[in-house]
Amino acid sequence: MKRFGERRALDGVDVRLEDGECLAVLGPNGAGKSTLLRTLATLLRPDAGTLAIAGHPCPKEAGTVRGLLGYLGHDPLVYLDLTARQNLELYADLYGVPAASERIDAVLREVGLLARSYDAVREFSRGMAQRLGLARLMLHRPSLLLLDEPHAGLDAAGRRLLDAMLEEARGARGVVLVTHEVERAVAQATRVMVLRAGRTVLDEPTAGLDPAALRARYERLVA
Amino acid sequence: MTEARSTRVPAVVGTLSAALTVLAACGVFLVAPEDTDQGIIQKIFYFHVSIAIASLVAFALAGVAGALYLRTRDEKHDELSSAAVGVGLGLAVLVVLTGSIWARASWGTWWVWNDPRLVTFLIVLLLYGAYFMLRSSADGERRMRYSAIYAIAGFASVPLSFYSVRVAESFVHPVVFTQNGADMPGSMLVWYVVAQVAVLGIALTALLLQLSQRRAEKALMRIKLRLQAEP
Amino acid sequence: MKPRAARQLRALVLKDLRLELRTRQTLLAMALFALAVMLIFEFAVGSRTDDLTPFAGGVLWATLALTAVLAVGRTWVPEREQRVLDGLLVAPVPRLALLVSRIIAIACYMAVVELLAVPLALLLFVESPHLGDVGWVVLVCLLADLGIGVVGALLASMAVFTRARDLLLPVLFLPSLLPVVIAAAGATHAVTAGSNDLSEYRGYCTFLAVYAVIFGLVAYATYEFVFDD
Repeated sequence: MKRFGERRALDGVDVRLEDGECLAVLGPNGAGKSTLLRTLATLLRPDAGTLAIAGHPCPKEAGTVRGLLGYLGHDPLVYLDLTARQNLELYADLYGVPAASERIDAVLREVGLLARSYDAVREFSRGMAQRLGLARLMLHRPSLLLLDEPHAGLDAAGRRLLDAMLEEARGARGVVLVTHEVERAVAQATRVMVLRAGRTVLDEPTAGLDPAALRARYERLVA
Repeated sequence: MTEARSTRVPAVVGTLSAALTVLAACGVFLVAPEDTDQGIIQKIFYFHVSIAIASLVAFALAGVAGALYLRTRDEKHDELSSAAVGVGLGLAVLVVLTGSIWARASWGTWWVWNDPRLVTFLIVLLLYGAYFMLRSSADGERRMRYSAIYAIAGFASVPLSFYSVRVAESFVHPVVFTQNGADMPGSMLVWYVVAQVAVLGIALTALLLQLSQRRAEKALMRIKLRLQAEP
Repeated sequence: MKPRAARQLRALVLKDLRLELRTRQTLLAMALFALAVMLIFEFAVGSRTDDLTPFAGGVLWATLALTAVLAVGRTWVPEREQRVLDGLLVAPVPRLALLVSRIIAIACYMAVVELLAVPLALLLFVESPHLGDVGWVVLVCLLADLGIGVVGALLASMAVFTRARDLLLPVLFLPSLLPVVIAAAGATHAVTAGSNDLSEYRGYCTFLAVYAVIFGLVAYATYEFVFDD
């Protein structure tokens, strides 16, 4: 349960995720999706209730667990005044990535920014900056991906990359994906959850769910 | 119920303190021997020092309550901490005022810079005045958390400020201060203790009143919100 | 893959260095500001008397205290403006490392400005400065910068999350900084006054060290809670 002032942003939301599962979180604006994600990312501390990641209770052992997490929000979380490479060097050091320069080259190549690696991020387009954010995300090979509407802000190339990443993560890593797109939720997730005004109103596995039917239910739930 | 009880405690403490204060005032001005050097104005010192100590006790309490808040995240500790800072600040203002009166009577000027205690309390006014500015710049949980941190830091600043002024003064005026310390004759000491207890009692009353006022405000807010929520 | 704290700290300091080199905003502003403040003192106080030597230490440290507000005010600003702070917080970086990186950054800013301000103050305000004086003043600067860094890092980290942070920071920072100003000015004065009073100098320097230690402990105990939303 997470409270901001007198307003309860999240109330009685239970999330359980196993390795390899992908949870899609849907809901209208202000439903608490971002709050939930940030709490899972250990950026926020729940006012009541417990959080445990990979068996470690948080926030007490949050330090141990952060190395396993990859968080991507609306912002790519990179410094505009540093070059792409310098940004990744910083994160590589913060996460303790071994053989950093090879790994940096590899992710830059994957996101298609190797040629621009010595340019300041300020000169990048929004799509390119967001792609750098993807590179940052994958740099340390996290076992749990926490993504907040990652497709927004990505250019076409970036979206393809992200979908490939999610495909590869299926079965291997845990993913929590906050999104507005119902169809994507059904297509890419193993479980879907709908939040409304801080509460869970739907929580089901996606296997066998019809996207159109889900959309209809979703519209009704959040009306 | 709790409402009736919570007004009774401050009332009792308040009455006791008021009585003690009257007793102390009588004792100090009528019974205690007059100081040969400074005369009657020295009597203000009984209160000046007791108020200063009460103020420091309040700030210490605020620091401890702040630490407790950080440990437990219980709102009550934040209430106590901010109320204590408020009381301490009010007392500090009195310290500065009584100190100024004493300076005027002793030396003819409205302020002296060579008294480390007095100067420290001026710094204290700034330190804890900033506390309230910090509080008004943040909301909710963050306000309580940051106030707690600052209450702790502020309480570390107080002795540091005192010693820096004292060290500076000791080099400029290398004369040992003759302040009214524990080398008071017994007849004076008794009335000093009475005055100190009285002032502490008044401070406690003020604290309790502040707390119950805050709680009443919060309860009112909660009722208001509940009424608004119901369609 | 447990990251070593030294590697993380080095990365953070490098990041600050690179940002400053690229934008070059803060140092230039601080240098100009320090110069302007010294001029203010000269015109406000200096026209009353010919020999400002007794005031040299005080003027220097009043200037540096005000300039420190600029340095401290840059704490976490690029992270906030460019919304990168989450990136640092979600990484397995102990909050203590973030504190230490800020202390180092503030102390470095102060040191660079002192390179300019100290000789200038000696030349402008001291009647007959000795070259050897600079060495003594350097030690004072080192100790004072440590205290300024610790207090500044703690308070600015809080101020950056509040409303009206530009107004709040000086109000929060300067009263806590007063003991440093008093002691540093006193120590500098002990050097410039030509009396060669070593015990006075040592007394003030010890105080500066004690200040840094005490506030260091406070910051160490409370820094976790600054970011702990």
